[in-house]
Amino acid sequence: MSSLPPPGPRGFSRRTLLAASATGLALLAAGCTSSPTEQREQVTGEQADQLLGQVGVQETLVAAYTAAGAADPGLAGEVAELAAQAAEQLARLRAAAPGATPSAVSPGTPPSPGEARSWLRAQVATAATSHATACVSQSGARAALLGSISAGLRGQDGRLA
Amino acid sequence: MADDGADESAQDLAAENAALGLAVAATHAAVWGYGVVGAALEPGGRGTAGSAEAAHRDVRDRAIALLAERSVEPPPAEGAYALPFPVLAAVDAAALAVVLEDGVSAAWVRVLDQAAEPGTRELALEALSDAEVRAVGWRAAAGRTPVTRALPGL
Repeated sequence: MSSLPPPGPRGFSRRTLLAASATGLALLAAGCTSSPTEQREQVTGEQADQLLGQVGVQETLVAAYTAAGAADPGLAGEVAELAAQAAEQLARLRAAAPGATPSAVSPGTPPSPGEARSWLRAQVATAATSHATACVSQSGARAALLGSISAGLRGQDGRLA
Repeated sequence: MADDGADESAQDLAAENAALGLAVAATHAAVWGYGVVGAALEPGGRGTAGSAEAAHRDVRDRAIALLAERSVEPPPAEGAYALPFPVLAAVDAAALAVVLEDGVSAAWVRVLDQAAEPGTRELALEALSDAEVRAVGWRAAAGRTPVTRALPGL
């Protein structure tokens, strides 16, 4: 039976890599799309339509970052990294959704500069919830992508609090 | 054919179970690792580590219960794990917590990729989201930038 190590780095067992990081490395090597069957990667018409809908949700969020930054220039600088990440998420969604084309969307505008942050946070939370809901009814790499994006937006939500 | 369908379903569930096993292994490591994190933090910060450890225990136990319902043996916890770097100060502890949360995030994304059951995706999504929210706080404490990730676990 293995026992917990004594205090200090010299006492830690070397027979097992820290599983968390090892798991991450193994997953990188295997890739997240290596399903034993291809069924999970087959897209029903309903799933394809839903994925296109999530592209629209993300386009709206990217536009919301622009609108919030326009209303409050100070906020624009503060959330530039978050906005870039939202754009990266959008690019990944478009790549995963056959037939997705950029569309003009309007998230509206913040009610006032002073409320731009809370307005933006609400937009982020709404998008995260939408992607999470879609994730559960998708499968394979699409579910993984939507789940990851939703989790990333939950992290953004916390930063905007 | 019906038999082909049953075979595919069993194969899908086997893939889901294998991914859940990896997630259980990752959470075992996280539970152990948070003991190290808590020990290296100032007393005022240990509550955060304790809450995180409890959260990982909870989701790990739910995954184990799911596997038990299917008569699948979950991987056991190791007695100890090798640390990726010495943890001698609070900033090291935060960096280790980032490693732990990023590790479980990758495992839960794997579950999302492999899951056949919507209920399993719900469990994985909840665990992934909670891990990323905690990771954001730990990245900030560790001085990492950016503190958020566009695609955690992928």
